[in-house]
Amino acid sequence: MSRKQWMDNAFWETEDKKEVNCILELEDDVGRVTRQQMMLNRANKDGSDNELFNELIDALGEEAIDKETIDRVTRKKAEKEEEKMRDEEHLKARKLEKLFNYKMEAFEVEEIKNSKNRKLKAKLRRAKSRIEVDLYSIMILQDQLEAVADGKE
Amino acid sequence: MEKSKGFIIVASKKRNFYSYAINLAESLRDYYEPEEECKICLVTEEQFIDDRGRDVADDIIFCDDHYRAKLWGMAKSPYDITMYIDADMECEHEDIIKVWDEMKDHDVVFSALTDDRDYIYAERDFSTPEGMSKFTLCGGVCLYDMTKPIVREFMDDWWDLTYRQMNDTWWPEGYIDSLKSWDQFSLWWLTEKEEKYKDLKVGIFDDDLRWNYYNALNWAQTKPDNGPVILRHFSAGLNKDTPIV
Repeated sequence: MSRKQWMDNAFWETEDKKEVNCILELEDDVGRVTRQQMMLNRANKDGSDNELFNELIDALGEEAIDKETIDRVTRKKAEKEEEKMRDEEHLKARKLEKLFNYKMEAFEVEEIKNSKNRKLKAKLRRAKSRIEVDLYSIMILQDQLEAVADGKE
Repeated sequence: MEKSKGFIIVASKKRNFYSYAINLAESLRDYYEPEEECKICLVTEEQFIDDRGRDVADDIIFCDDHYRAKLWGMAKSPYDITMYIDADMECEHEDIIKVWDEMKDHDVVFSALTDDRDYIYAERDFSTPEGMSKFTLCGGVCLYDMTKPIVREFMDDWWDLTYRQMNDTWWPEGYIDSLKSWDQFSLWWLTEKEEKYKDLKVGIFDDDLRWNYYNALNWAQTKPDNGPVILRHFSAGLNKDTPIV
């Protein structure tokens, strides 16, 4: 037995409600189900009523389509915001990884590696940007050169 | 007598891990107050050791270059209460001193591998002869009480089983071969299948993300509930094979 059903997620494409985006689910005699996404106009090109459009309105009602249109806008906005936040967090994580790798490179510089200045090395480790890493690297380097000159190293 | 407490860090196979381990050990000292009570055992290959390691570690144990020397090292901890931390992590908060409170009445404490975090793991769900199962414990950090015989035995067995599963001298029937490369499988086996460990008290850190925060978890906006990250895990974003310099 064949079946035909309008999905309840139809929404208006235009503010004047002359165009609706909808999905029609069809089941054929052997139980195969297919879905067709359609864009339906309220009127045909010659100005006559679009029967399929009317069928959809009869099945779902204009109020339900109004509600779904508003819900969809809210949903899409929330999804977009979440995606934006996720992208920002992703970037932040990547930036942190790069900074960590950069610090690891700094710690492998011979003079920094050999430095016993724990305070400066801690500051380098806590650095929040590359420029801060560079600054503390230079300070450790100077400190190490002085230590060598003073015969402490 | 009060139980001794200390951290254990293992760096083997790749020189980069040694550099990460030094950084982790120094970061622990940066935040641990009083610093002189921060005991660190470094397990590493003799070929890697240098002054940095000798300066930062209270105890040094040499290991071989096994892929999972981590487990061998964990079983050799010189401390009663031991906190193992993966080398590619960094301490960034002074609450690190509170780690010992997490022991409570557990035998071993891990961070959890939950459904919302499983995307960072290559393989988590697997079929068993009894049906589908999944890893639920993450071994990035592990707090354990070595004064308890069951824990000492468990640590020995975890290493032994992992060693055998990786060199193909042990593998249960009905499990996919790809699981052989995960020490999480041997952990799962011991905690879920081994009769002698049915009474082992396995705990999860309170607000465990604070204790093992995968930097990649940012991608899911998963944050600790009760405070800032204490130990950050950089695992995903590191190129461990290419020498740092």
